[in-house]
Amino acid sequence: MKKELIELRVNGESCEQAVEPQRTLLEALREDLGLTGAKEACGTGECGACTVLMDGKPILSCLTLAIEAQGKEITTIEGLSKAGELHPLQNAFIQYGAIQCGYCTSGMILNAKSILDENPKPSREEILKGLEGNLCRCTGYNKILEAVMAASIGKD
Amino acid sequence: MEELSFVGKSVPRKDGVEKATGRALYTVDMVLPGMLWGKILRSPYPHAKILNIDTSRAERLPGVKAVITGKDTLGIKHGFVETPRYPPDQYPLAMDRVRYIGEEIAAVAAIDEYVAEEALNLIQVDYEELPAVFDAEEAMKPEAPEIHPSHPKVKEPYKNIGGKTESGWGDVEKGFAESFLVREDRFEGQLRTHCYMEPQATLASFDFSGKLNVWTSSQGPFIKRAKLAATLGLPFSNVRVLKAYVGGAYGGKIDLFSHEFCASLLSIKARRPVKIVCTRKEVFEAARHGQPIIVNLKTGVKKDGTLMAQQVKVINNSGAYRGSGVVVIFLCWGFVMLCYRIPNLKYEGYSVYTNNPVRAPQRGHGAPNLRFAVESQMDMIAEELGIDPVEIRLKNARQKGDILPNGDSVRNCGLVECIERVDKATQFKEKYGRNKSLAKTGMRKGIGMGVSSYFSGSLIYPNASAAMVKLNDDGTVSLITGALDIGQGAETILCQIVAEELGISMDDIRVVAADTETTPVDIGSWISGGAYVSGNAVKIAASDARRQLFEVAAQELEANPEDLIAKNREISVKDSPGRSISFAQAVAASIAKRRGNPIIGQGHYRTMKDVPAHPSLATTKGRWSDNYAFDAQVAEVEVDMETAQVKLLKATTAHDCGFPINPLIVEGQIDGQVSMAQGHALWEEVLMKEGQTLTTSFLDYKIPCAKDMVESHYVDVITERYEKDIPYHTKEVGEGYVSGMVAAIANAVYDATGVRVKTLPILPEKILMGLKEKENQ
Repeated sequence: MKKELIELRVNGESCEQAVEPQRTLLEALREDLGLTGAKEACGTGECGACTVLMDGKPILSCLTLAIEAQGKEITTIEGLSKAGELHPLQNAFIQYGAIQCGYCTSGMILNAKSILDENPKPSREEILKGLEGNLCRCTGYNKILEAVMAASIGKD
Repeated sequence: MEELSFVGKSVPRKDGVEKATGRALYTVDMVLPGMLWGKILRSPYPHAKILNIDTSRAERLPGVKAVITGKDTLGIKHGFVETPRYPPDQYPLAMDRVRYIGEEIAAVAAIDEYVAEEALNLIQVDYEELPAVFDAEEAMKPEAPEIHPSHPKVKEPYKNIGGKTESGWGDVEKGFAESFLVREDRFEGQLRTHCYMEPQATLASFDFSGKLNVWTSSQGPFIKRAKLAATLGLPFSNVRVLKAYVGGAYGGKIDLFSHEFCASLLSIKARRPVKIVCTRKEVFEAARHGQPIIVNLKTGVKKDGTLMAQQVKVINNSGAYRGSGVVVIFLCWGFVMLCYRIPNLKYEGYSVYTNNPVRAPQRGHGAPNLRFAVESQMDMIAEELGIDPVEIRLKNARQKGDILPNGDSVRNCGLVECIERVDKATQFKEKYGRNKSLAKTGMRKGIGMGVSSYFSGSLIYPNASAAMVKLNDDGTVSLITGALDIGQGAETILCQIVAEELGISMDDIRVVAADTETTPVDIGSWISGGAYVSGNAVKIAASDARRQLFEVAAQELEANPEDLIAKNREISVKDSPGRSISFAQAVAASIAKRRGNPIIGQGHYRTMKDVPAHPSLATTKGRWSDNYAFDAQVAEVEVDMETAQVKLLKATTAHDCGFPINPLIVEGQIDGQVSMAQGHALWEEVLMKEGQTLTTSFLDYKIPCAKDMVESHYVDVITERYEKDIPYHTKEVGEGYVSGMVAAIANAVYDATGVRVKTLPILPEKILMGLKEKENQ
């Protein structure tokens, strides 16, 4: 199919990309822009590993077409730390043992960010409800919950 | 005892920043210039002869760079186990016959995934369908179709027996005759699967010097190299398997998989890098799942609950090839005899070929299904005798220093303490049996206990670990280890040991890991020996480096090497304040004094160092492991008596893992296993119909999500110590704790409902059926 020239705005930077209309945002991020932090684990929107933020809201980039992302602000895990300073959620995930294999981590942290952006002091139940679309097979979610709780009340 | 600075502390993960920032590169992320994409053509039939394969149309498709079938291979078989009794039985690409739906027939490398996929559609395969068999017990009958007609199998009255284990001691008939109560039950474990988040993936690059470089999502590079080299007919040294981050494995990425072979052979043929990433559907349909086993269990006890005799028959449905089936029937023997003293035992295990996909180890490798059987029956016996579940377990539990029937010592076994402390921590005895007088409506709570034990490393290739610790001239240290961190934290705990031995900081250590070319051999992250075997190798290497450095430092400080201590990046003379030099200064001095001869500490460690080989898979004779971990776990559940929905409210794990090198990592391992046990006990099952997998996505196969999170509590039973200059005996913590929890959940469901479900998973319909039966009684 014929490629289209689109402008993507990712982590505060704009870039032009020629993409086929059926190319997913996940493919464009990973293969065209080299941002491999977002992962594919199912490719069908069931696991949340490909979660990125579009205008601050979590989306499944494996079910989103790259052309749909035009004019939107995309944030990937690579854009979360600023000038070498880790985001409080990244610090909390490391400190509280919320990372094991790490494959779900990018999506989990970005989704957690959107939860905290909306509600800086969520309850345990609200965090768990918010993260239910992000599968993790290593941690049982216990340390992930602790990390998000800690980040929400401003601990490191 | 000297106070420890790093070992025993909850140090954050060494690779935490890489992973939290999305910088960690997994095999799926790897790209090389000129890289092609590979795809695999799989059998649509469970059992068929291959009459002809025509790849000519696929080869002509623009963009296709290589096509391979069995004819392009050397026809060398491989297997999880390769011994004279159990020779390899699986071709990496099918030759003349396919034995399961999903078996690999051909592979294509093309300029992108779409062209590769299109090329698969152009390959014409002519089959002659053969009768197939799917159920293990059906496959054992004389009239069943024979799945490996020309293949030497175990001599046996049954058909399709891929492996058999027989063991025992004493006289079970006498034991049963002298018993007050004898129970016989049948328990069935289901087919569950790993659900590692990173799918199976491999990038292979064959260069013009004749060397094959491979990145693959695995559990250790050395076994992959050995099996790739063997099937490709290359010397070991021409195959280099390199490190990539691994997105979960849990037993599902150990030995050779066909996609690894295909990526490699396609790269050899196309002379370009080839990457194969399996889709999730492919992983569900054709990759290896866990081992479904049937346990027939007969147990005799005295009136006070003391075990007199046990007779166990285990049947494993191994799928179309042996896979790890012949190992799991050996291991089930072990998981029977570890926890309790059994004076008379008769054990037989059968691994049966069927026309299903091949099976692999999965976290616990047989133990969860086996302990579910033993622990369920233990509670049934206790109830019949009017003894509580704690007392019957304490009465029979392994004691410190017990010698197992195979000659192994359980050393500092903490099982009794685990049972006693988990009872106290959960007020088990007060809570157990509280439903007896209640009406069978509304929400009912239940509590159940399960115990289990797991070995900590054994002798399967490559058997041992070695490590090097190189001191660099800026005072940093390179740890060179073959160990692969698959998320369990191997690199972190190994760095803690180096930091402890050298008195430096975690940040001073760089890790070079899991590369068959540059790092020494390692036991692998799949036999529960990482913390013990690799850890001791690293400890020896680090203390060797310290010894060499102290010789130099002693000259600088005009002291005896044995009077020196290393701490806080300083080397100082004991009890002489002010007499010290920095670690970096000492290393710099060593370079000058030793005329450039670098300090590289070396260490190696082998479990059971004088034992030549793994115990017999056929008879269980021979040593098995140096260390055994024990646990007693309690599950507290709530059951809606209307719908029979079970909620696991709280899990408490009392565990003897020796000592935790990193308590935070140990807790994470326990939480993950509790979560897997929750799914295993209550929901997870790969459903199959006539060899076809029906559950092919995370929607069909439900694993626990955040909303299912279980409150997880830990009771540490510390039985071992870490001291300088002697090997330590810590135990495994990565896979033993699924089993006790699966059993505990089953027992808690019984406590809540009065329904004993003997097949996993414990679905609501099974509980409702049980409730109905009770009503009708």
